[in-house]
Amino acid sequence: MTTLESAHGPEGGPVGMSRRQLLRHTAWFGAAVVLTVTSGEVISHLGTPPAAAAAVAQDPHALRFVQISDSHLGFHGPANTDVTGSFSRAINQVNTLGFRPDFVMHTGDLTHLSTPAQFDQVRQMLGGLRTGQVFTVPGEHDSVDDHGQKYRAAFGSGTRGDGWYSFDIKGVHFIALVNTLALEKLGHLGTDQLEFVRKDVAGLSSDTPIVVFSHIPLFAMYPTWGWGTDDATQALSYLRRFSSVTCLNGHVHQLFTKTDGNVTFYSATTTAYPLPHPGQGPGPIPLTLPAGQLGPALGIRDVSYQPGQHALAIRDRRLA
Amino acid sequence: MNPILLARVTAAGCLAGSGVIHAQLYLTGYRTIPWIGPAFLLQASGSFAVALLLLLSSAAVLRLAAAAIAAGALVGFIASRTIGVLGFVEYGLLPAPQALISVLVEIGALALLAVPFLDRTAARPALSLSR
Repeated sequence: MTTLESAHGPEGGPVGMSRRQLLRHTAWFGAAVVLTVTSGEVISHLGTPPAAAAAVAQDPHALRFVQISDSHLGFHGPANTDVTGSFSRAINQVNTLGFRPDFVMHTGDLTHLSTPAQFDQVRQMLGGLRTGQVFTVPGEHDSVDDHGQKYRAAFGSGTRGDGWYSFDIKGVHFIALVNTLALEKLGHLGTDQLEFVRKDVAGLSSDTPIVVFSHIPLFAMYPTWGWGTDDATQALSYLRRFSSVTCLNGHVHQLFTKTDGNVTFYSATTTAYPLPHPGQGPGPIPLTLPAGQLGPALGIRDVSYQPGQHALAIRDRRLA
Repeated sequence: MNPILLARVTAAGCLAGSGVIHAQLYLTGYRTIPWIGPAFLLQASGSFAVALLLLLSSAAVLRLAAAAIAAGALVGFIASRTIGVLGFVEYGLLPAPQALISVLVEIGALALLAVPFLDRTAARPALSLSR
């Protein structure tokens, strides 16, 4: 036997290795690699099981909707010299998903400067979506100079207060919140809207899936840059008793996910231009990416829910 | 049960626990985060694989792999709350309770994996300088 070292290891075995021991260690290492790959395959398939996806596609009771966000029509800058073209591609991508979504939600910053022309343009473009309904919530760019009046004139029909509302589709309760009007640094909901949320969910069964839309995140993603809502905790306290709560927001122009108890937060990317990751750089200013890298930073999100399932299935897609 | 064997089995349990948490976070949304999603998947699958093999053998390569996985997850946790990991930043012990449980089981795994070394150190006779 060729012993390389004769010292003994912690469980009585040699620290140095014979050829046989080297082979044994290699075999264990190989087994670990094979099992790791196998486990990875199993886990990743649990995330999007083809059978479940097919079941959602074929189930007439399944809910499917699309979230698009932060289109900033009217933006002019090197970060994206054609935001209108990007938004058109996003709309075309929604229309060619292979299914007709029950609705499309735009989570704010439809326009860049809230001008009547920009609202008119975005309304016309949203009219090209092949979907059951189009919903929106305002971003801070949609209420630059008028506390959201032009936004509500264009999209506020049927809403309450400053534009908040709720609706039900296929057993899921949706709440659309406005947290961009009274913001100083962080997003803010305000007493009236908090009371609306409390009353809105008071009569719902605790097993009703809840989806909350807002422009600014309802979690503290990066408060230094205003990426959070100062009174969101109060709103979320009314939702703690529900078994499944999903909060979908825009504003941060990048994908981000956080789970807090029964609530899962998903920040969406943009159809216009990326922003830096939290804390990277002087502030949330548009990022100009090298040629060819803008497309992958933009995207849309489709969400499906099959009655009886606990959670919604979220799928983020790069802009086609 | 032999205390060293018990420590190894418990370390395997802690590692598997860390894997469960990372797999659950991956499935409930982290998979959409560039780089972080695949990293969580790799951590989870590696944890399951090494935890299973650690039940079967005390091979040094497995103990080393287990320690590397647990330590790597802890380093990632600390980095994500300080300097960030490829732009991914989280705060405090969120998501709750996964973040806290994950840290505890990973520290536990590292401590238990060190038991054989501590045992050997305790058993080794003290060196004497006198002749």
